[in-house]
Amino acid sequence: MSEESAGGGMTDVVNAPIVLEMRDVTKRFGLVTANDDISLVLHRGEILGLLGENGAGKSTLMKILYGLYKPDEGEIFVDGEKVEIHDPKDAVARGIGMVHQHFTLIPPLTVAENIVLGAEPRKGLSLDMDEAVRATEELSERYGLQVDPKARVADLSVGIRQRVEILKALYRDVRILVLDEPTAVLTPQETEDLFAVLKELVEDGLSIILITHKLGELIGVGDEITIIRDGRVIDTVNASKTNERELARLMVGRDVLLSVEKGAYDPGEVRLAAEDLTVHSATGEVAVRGVNLEVRAGEVLGIAGVDGNGQTELAEALAGTRHTEGGKVYLDGEDVTSLGADARQVRGLAYVPEDRATKGLVQDFALYENNTLKTYYERPFSRFGVIFPKVMRRRAAESLRAYDVRPPDPGARAGSLSGGNQQKAVLARELSGDPGVLIAAQPTRGVDVGAIEFIHRQILEQRSEGKAILLVSLELEEVRSLSDRILVLYAGRIVGEVGPDATDEELGLLMAGRGVEEKSA
Amino acid sequence: MSGSATQGNGSALGRIVSGILGPLVFPVIAILLSFIIGAVIVLATGNNPIAAYVALTEGAVGDPLALGRTLLYTTPLIFTGLAVAVPFRAGLFNIGGEGQVYMGAITAAWLGVLLGSLGPVEIPLVLAGSLLAGFLWGAIPGVLKAYFGAHEVITTIMLNYVGIYLAYYLANNPLRQKGPIPGTESIDYAARIPTIGGALGRANYGFFIAILAAIVVYLLLWRTRRGFELRAVGLSPGAANYAGMRLGVNTVLALAIGGSLAGLGGGVEILGVYGNMDVPWVVNLGFNGIGVALLGRNHPFGVVLGALLFGGLSSGAQEMQFVTNVPLELADVLLAVILLLVTATKLVELIVGKRARALAGARLEEGLGS
Repeated sequence: MSEESAGGGMTDVVNAPIVLEMRDVTKRFGLVTANDDISLVLHRGEILGLLGENGAGKSTLMKILYGLYKPDEGEIFVDGEKVEIHDPKDAVARGIGMVHQHFTLIPPLTVAENIVLGAEPRKGLSLDMDEAVRATEELSERYGLQVDPKARVADLSVGIRQRVEILKALYRDVRILVLDEPTAVLTPQETEDLFAVLKELVEDGLSIILITHKLGELIGVGDEITIIRDGRVIDTVNASKTNERELARLMVGRDVLLSVEKGAYDPGEVRLAAEDLTVHSATGEVAVRGVNLEVRAGEVLGIAGVDGNGQTELAEALAGTRHTEGGKVYLDGEDVTSLGADARQVRGLAYVPEDRATKGLVQDFALYENNTLKTYYERPFSRFGVIFPKVMRRRAAESLRAYDVRPPDPGARAGSLSGGNQQKAVLARELSGDPGVLIAAQPTRGVDVGAIEFIHRQILEQRSEGKAILLVSLELEEVRSLSDRILVLYAGRIVGEVGPDATDEELGLLMAGRGVEEKSA
Repeated sequence: MSGSATQGNGSALGRIVSGILGPLVFPVIAILLSFIIGAVIVLATGNNPIAAYVALTEGAVGDPLALGRTLLYTTPLIFTGLAVAVPFRAGLFNIGGEGQVYMGAITAAWLGVLLGSLGPVEIPLVLAGSLLAGFLWGAIPGVLKAYFGAHEVITTIMLNYVGIYLAYYLANNPLRQKGPIPGTESIDYAARIPTIGGALGRANYGFFIAILAAIVVYLLLWRTRRGFELRAVGLSPGAANYAGMRLGVNTVLALAIGGSLAGLGGGVEILGVYGNMDVPWVVNLGFNGIGVALLGRNHPFGVVLGALLFGGLSSGAQEMQFVTNVPLELADVLLAVILLLVTATKLVELIVGKRARALAGARLEEGLGS
């Protein structure tokens, strides 16, 4: 441990030399100003948190830094020198590296091959793979990032892949590393590992910009936190002197209820049940293996797990949009396994799909058309095969207002709304038919804090009205604060049931599948 | 994060104006630019571009006879443009218009003779036959796509050959007229679509059938349950499936409806213009429909405008060749450049700047499926 990391690191960091400064950066897209006069400063050995809601402009700013966008105004200084960054190659040459939210690795290639890709060591005319492996080993030793250089990326877990992405940047001698929402795909333990790695990197003199919309994360790791709202820097705060409530207020611009009040738990009869359910993924692999579950009236059953462990397929199979390979689905005691999504909907099942961009909404349809996406054939929207857009509009205007969708204009194109408003539009449609059962798959993914609050309240309201709710979410906080019971899904199996008071550690172990080994041992 | 966030603001009048004018901005710019490029070509060949364009315009709309010729050429292109537009709205590319026109035409040629001399009563019966033939022919690639995963671009292209040669075989063998000339027997004049008259020459009431078809297509797409489903499937198969719409049924229907429109177009050509099917018969009606639909941004009313431009240019080019030394082919070059510019939106943006693009808004992408 170096002295810098000890106790009063904060003041040391601020006194350290400035490695990056973005000054008065403005970027407009047509009439929208995505970045409005943004300035930020990054010191050597600092972790700067960049916090903002979706669409606040943080990604745009980082894309400017990485040479993907050209700013309309403003200057960028690296090590005090004014620079023009035209493309990512320029950025890398200036020592700026980026780890994207969606990895840019080539799965069939090995770790070493991926790391040197585009900057391969050569021996004469041919590639020097031995050198690539050696360089990878040296890097991973130097920064304490354990990887096997000869392993195929396809065989690695998400956490390790992210490590490879970081090594890839380090191989190019970057000194400023930008990480875009790096924890979205990690278990709590993997997140902890990542932060430990980041702390080691800054001790080695790197500087890091960490983009996130999760409030708690930055308080533990960041030195300073810059909050962006509506394309402007609202404030930069000292990470050790702030709290989640303050950050949420700065991010949203008003006080936000971070946790919602939940009424008493009084479960009724079973509304939705799965029996020995087996489901295949789109690629034909077994994604859900013999799952049994029951959701009762007046309860929220949470499904926790790391992304890609069968949650998507489970929710789709229960909702009827995915074929089941085995087992049964019951809705209010009736076997609905062979019924399609439309028939289940008629029987009172509402479904908020996890992917509102490609499933929940037709992006190029107007809001009123989306509002009747499932009921367009019913009266009063249609008779004798003819639809009545005016009636659709009128009904949509009512429900858009009721669910606080902005703008509440039935004629607005769904795709022009922010993520949070799109999700509210989906909820408005799904809940308007007064369903008995609600399946909500990642209802707040990519949704801003203000909308999250609203959506959580709606879900709990449904609960208090005696609806049965199945909540699938990757956000542990969300699962814990809303659910009455939590099932953990790992590799398509339910590996444990815990209460809403379960600790990170308990859940994390189950999510990593360790619970299974213990049971089988 | 793009300019789309600004939509929905502004006055209602502004919205209506940009709603009508927005989609027209790019085609109009493309047309103007292509005429400039055409003028350069005419100059390069040693001719006077102004004289050429005056002749072109006069040949298209200069007198009733020219106008009639334009309507005559426009009519089948409306049908074949619609035949592309409807499947496109459902996310499918129908390249099979040519074969579908032939199937509709040979059906009309056969039925028209078979029903003998019922007089005008025969017309709707024959056209219904053409429509049905096109529907069934279009349903084939639909079924292949929906239930066997064969890509409709490949199957519709290949079915063109099957359709054309099947029609020629029928015209040359079982349906062949007596005498040395290949082709089917002529249909009784009483059972043909009458000409509009006036001084419009050979222009016939088929044009109004085409306009009617465009209106029906508009109502189908935006005022019926089926149209709602077709558009939802076309814009987002994932969301349509999630909402419980059946992708397979809609795929088959979209291509079949497209086929029925082309088939009807073939029937109208036989009853309105030719009276029988010669071998060889008129070519490229189906293929030009693709360009018409592209130009019309796959909107039924846009298709009518696109077809009028296509029809007007081919009609005017004849006059232009007659009066000046500019060859007929210049019209084809102009059309090719227009289509190039319409599809290459980025290129036009470069030339005329982003302001026009902002006005045209999101509708640009809509028409091109990008």
